[in-house]
Amino acid sequence: MSNQIIFKGASEMPEISVSLGHMDWNKTGAWRTQRPFYEDKTAPCNAACPAGNDIVSFIQKIDQGDVEGAWSLVQEENPFPGVCGRVCFHPCESKCNRGRFDEPIAIHALERFVADFASQRSRKVEKISTQEKEKIAIIGSGPAGMSCAYHLARLHYHATVFESYPLAGGMLRMGIPSYRLPKDVLDREISNIEALGVEIRTGIPIGEKIQMEALSDYQAIFIATGAHMSRGLKIPGEKGRGVLSGLDLLKKINLTGKAKVGERVAIIGGGNTAMDVARSVIRLGKKATVLYRRSREEMPAFEEEIVEALEEGVKIRYLVNPIGIKEKNGLKRLECLRMELGEKDESGRRKPEPVPNSNFFVEADSLIVAAGEEIETSFFPKGIGKKEGIILTQMDGRTAVEGIFAGGDVATTQRTVAYAIGSGKKAAMAIDCHLRGKNSEEAIRQILIGDGPSLSIFRYLNPGERPKSPHIVDFEELNMDYFEPSKRQGEKERPLRERKKGFGEVTATLTKEAALMEGERCFSCGTCNECENCYIFCPDASILKREGKIFHQVDYDFCKGCGVCFVECPRRAISLEEEAR
Amino acid sequence: MSPQGHFPGGGGAMKKVITGNQAVAYGAILSRVDVVSAYPITPQTTIVEELSELIASGRLRTKFLKVESEHSAMAALIGASTGGVRCFTATSSHGLAYMHEMLHWASGARLPIVMVNVNRAIGPPWNIWSDQSDSLSQRDTGWIQLYCENNQEVLDTILQAFRIAEWGKLPVMVVLDAFVLSHTSEAVEIPTLEEVDQFLPPYLQEYAIDTREPMAFSVIATPDYFLEFRYKIQRAMEEVPQIAKKVDDEFKSRFGRGYGAIERYGKEGAEVLLMTSGTVTSTSRIVIQKLTEKGVSVAGIKIKRFRPFPSEELHEAIRGAKKLAVIDRNLSAGVGGIFAQELRASLYSREERPPVFGFISGLGGRDITPELIEEAIHYTWEHPRPEEEILWLGLKK
Amino acid sequence: MKKMEIPLSENLGHGHLACAGCGAAISMRLTLKALGEKTVLIIPASCWSIIPGFWPYSSYRVTAIHAGFVTGGATASGVRAALDVRGDRETLVAVWAGDGGTFDIGIQALSGAAERNEDFIYICNDNEGYMNTGTQRSSATPFLAWTTTTPVMQPKENPKKDIMAIMADHQIPYAATATVAYPEDLFRKLEKAKKIQGTRFIHLLSPCPPGWKISSELVVKISRLAVRSRVFPLYEIENGRTYTLQEESHVVPVKEYLKLQGRFSHLKEEDIRETQRRVDDAWERLLRRARC
Repeated sequence: MSNQIIFKGASEMPEISVSLGHMDWNKTGAWRTQRPFYEDKTAPCNAACPAGNDIVSFIQKIDQGDVEGAWSLVQEENPFPGVCGRVCFHPCESKCNRGRFDEPIAIHALERFVADFASQRSRKVEKISTQEKEKIAIIGSGPAGMSCAYHLARLHYHATVFESYPLAGGMLRMGIPSYRLPKDVLDREISNIEALGVEIRTGIPIGEKIQMEALSDYQAIFIATGAHMSRGLKIPGEKGRGVLSGLDLLKKINLTGKAKVGERVAIIGGGNTAMDVARSVIRLGKKATVLYRRSREEMPAFEEEIVEALEEGVKIRYLVNPIGIKEKNGLKRLECLRMELGEKDESGRRKPEPVPNSNFFVEADSLIVAAGEEIETSFFPKGIGKKEGIILTQMDGRTAVEGIFAGGDVATTQRTVAYAIGSGKKAAMAIDCHLRGKNSEEAIRQILIGDGPSLSIFRYLNPGERPKSPHIVDFEELNMDYFEPSKRQGEKERPLRERKKGFGEVTATLTKEAALMEGERCFSCGTCNECENCYIFCPDASILKREGKIFHQVDYDFCKGCGVCFVECPRRAISLEEEAR
Repeated sequence: MSPQGHFPGGGGAMKKVITGNQAVAYGAILSRVDVVSAYPITPQTTIVEELSELIASGRLRTKFLKVESEHSAMAALIGASTGGVRCFTATSSHGLAYMHEMLHWASGARLPIVMVNVNRAIGPPWNIWSDQSDSLSQRDTGWIQLYCENNQEVLDTILQAFRIAEWGKLPVMVVLDAFVLSHTSEAVEIPTLEEVDQFLPPYLQEYAIDTREPMAFSVIATPDYFLEFRYKIQRAMEEVPQIAKKVDDEFKSRFGRGYGAIERYGKEGAEVLLMTSGTVTSTSRIVIQKLTEKGVSVAGIKIKRFRPFPSEELHEAIRGAKKLAVIDRNLSAGVGGIFAQELRASLYSREERPPVFGFISGLGGRDITPELIEEAIHYTWEHPRPEEEILWLGLKK
Repeated sequence: MKKMEIPLSENLGHGHLACAGCGAAISMRLTLKALGEKTVLIIPASCWSIIPGFWPYSSYRVTAIHAGFVTGGATASGVRAALDVRGDRETLVAVWAGDGGTFDIGIQALSGAAERNEDFIYICNDNEGYMNTGTQRSSATPFLAWTTTTPVMQPKENPKKDIMAIMADHQIPYAATATVAYPEDLFRKLEKAKKIQGTRFIHLLSPCPPGWKISSELVVKISRLAVRSRVFPLYEIENGRTYTLQEESHVVPVKEYLKLQGRFSHLKEEDIRETQRRVDDAWERLLRRARC
């Protein structure tokens, strides 16, 4: 009963003060000086992911036991979870708030689990209709190009990808060894993209088989040719026999499964390519020594790569800089200088200074140069701006030529798979804006995750849905009373001896049990996961439920604004503001 | 005492020589009381003991809560009565005083609880003997008060009390004198359970606990409504004379004994009327008989019902009397005898206001002898008006 | 993410008059959910005589009987007797009394009922003072706390009465402590109590924002700190003899608990040390009792 009961006289009243109604009419909401409201916020992992994954949400799906749902969620932003789960440098985990409590969530392992699990279920991906829309040409079938094609297809465009090699995948196939990224995983995710209706034309290098001009019947072009030219050392003897480029070696192994190198192999470089080469050499049964001109701390390779390489027997010599290559009796003799670390350079790393008169020789049967990659520019149309080895682009991927966009390694110095995937997505969106006459910079601003630069195409396609405040939830804002320290579930490594024998995958995907356990560790920063603390602790029964579930509504008729829900939400999914009066 | 003998069942009523306290116990059991909750205090103790035995015999479903104080005794009954069952307790003197807060609660909650109070003095000094100050101190608590002259009346009044309480929705206190009645044996006719069942229907209450229709009882009431709740209690009290008369009449027709709110006895047209309550009345009957034979124009009024005060009945009964004498076995210090005070108040609005001679005697069990009663009557006869507000009988000055 | 399953029915409705963030309102709401509709709740004088509202309304959606201050144990005994006489053994009789109505003025009736092992659940909603009448001290007020009758110049000089020890020594079948911040624990204990016959006693700590001088939003946090600082450990006593002390993995110094409360803001360093010493001492005593 919510109506007020008024008695006009004693004769209407009962003999005793027994209750005749409830207090529903008393709207205690009028007492409030502050009001709580549900507001999902951005998790630091989401903000840190260059590919724009909604990590918190897909982990929530795993928690609910809905792995297929998790896969669908990931697919909204990123068609390559199987790839990223294996090769991404996971900046998300560095920003994970759990890392300030015990250990960060093994997000990459969960992403990989979702991809592998879904593949076992042989999910069917359906073709999307493209009747109405324009045709887009994408040059390069690496992560940037394929991501762009994927999202364009979802935007109902007809996307054609031109790939110079006989197989699609770009660096994912050519540059990353199978023990890190098995080919079947890559093939599976590429075919998922093709199944949407994307056309991939392999064996067609632009600039040779087809000229840029021939692409004029495409309404937009996305250049994503990557950086797959090996950078030279510019030292004498580099062009000699037996000096290989690391990228070439990896390509050979990735395309044919084998390659020929000498017994002792010296590898010059300190990045992931150098590590990949060294570890591949081990698997070919040979000895590998890496020569790097700075110290271990400055090596740009992923830490895990370095650790695994050392475990597998790769030797690394630090502060060594080759200055010349000679040959003697079939052996390579590499003249090197010792280095010492001086001031920091632009990259923030201490600059290596040669130690005078410290020359010495390193002997090897094969020499491999893996000292960085450069872009191929020969086919670029006139007017494309370049600077310091990359194509110049606007914030949305536009080049100086109208209708031509660029992304991935060719347009940035941030050379990671995740970044490439993110840039392909952004370009797809920018191309859509360009063709539909929308302001792309404004559109991008609307869909940034946190402060950016990552963005969510889900929000572009479904404006107003899953709203999230750009505020990034900090560890201090969480309530640790609801969590107990627990062990992080990492992927199990195969035994060393087995690993080195071939190019089979080094680690195993998490089991479902392990994935569930790891998923449970996630704080779900900023996103309600229906723990119902708010409902349990509300003194005024003002957290509403519908059909037994929270539906993120506060009963403002009765909420007194005590703020208990705000404090007891473990993940800061509730905000508190002053009550306007 | 064999339990079987108390409930003859198929047989007729029996006559037994029992004490007042035993009569109380019979009265409660015959009324099929459901919950008894009591704490012992002299001279009530044999009630509690008697009840324990009768209940332990198991013939009835009665529960006896042996609580740890009188306040708790009444609180427990308030709980039980709200729970929708018939409730009973007994106490005296200090115990009654301890219950005071809960007496207000019982009447405010309109619960038909019946309680026997054995009139005993309240100390200090400690005193365990007959005195009406305890029950009369509670006259503002909203309880109906009925006084008894003999053990038969005690048993009968208890049976009537449940009926009056449940009809009028007010609690009832049945009062008897310490030791003079409580521990004195008299012949009492004890009806059978079946006979009482005919007279006293099963317990029914308008508002009782029912978890299918949850309610809150005794909810706080603001000044907006409190006045009206109290008004309703007063109205209920105003209905009691009629209700009590109907009950008494019915009782009389079934059992052959009726008591009325008051009883006037003696010669018609007497000039002096002596008013007493409790066992003093028995002595007064003999004295008045004797004096009447000697030619003194005196008759007597026994006051049975003190609350609500029987103004109407008294005004009828005192018609033609020139002087009224009251013997109070109680004292409200600063004012005097309480029966006298209430009588004077009740007479104030009338045209005919005979003088009231307020005698106080018998406090703390002092015997009110025939001599003292004669002295009171003579004083009244000889003086046009009382020379003092309070006339002390038998005081050793 | 395991979610606590609690019954949906709101047996304490909204629109009630409790202060914003009232710890007892959270306790009452959860308790009434656990006890269910077949309950008669007896409420001796306390905040809960007022909070449900004025006649003719009441927020209670279970049967409730407001009773005199002194009378929790006695009224409940009477109600239980009446229900038994009526043949109803299903309806649960429960008392919801404050610390005043349990530790002080109500202790006689409670002790009497416990000695008779009367069949009801007695819940003492302890906010550590006579809060309804404006925050005067009770024997449940902790050592050195401010109240209106233990002002800052002369704060409470005596330690809190150990009501659990008192109840245990009545040899009642079940006694347990519980508090707002541990709702699953509270539910578990109420469910357990429901299945036991005889006198069952729950000592429920409910922080009071105005009385403890705390910000309303910290009510649950402070309740949790009371447990973690061992000021209010969670445990159960069965038949006065068998103790089950609940593990606490996050023990904190009592300072963490005191520093959030205005009623302790006048405490000096030596007072805090003394308080810590007493807390440690009380914990040792509890451990010893538990081992016997």
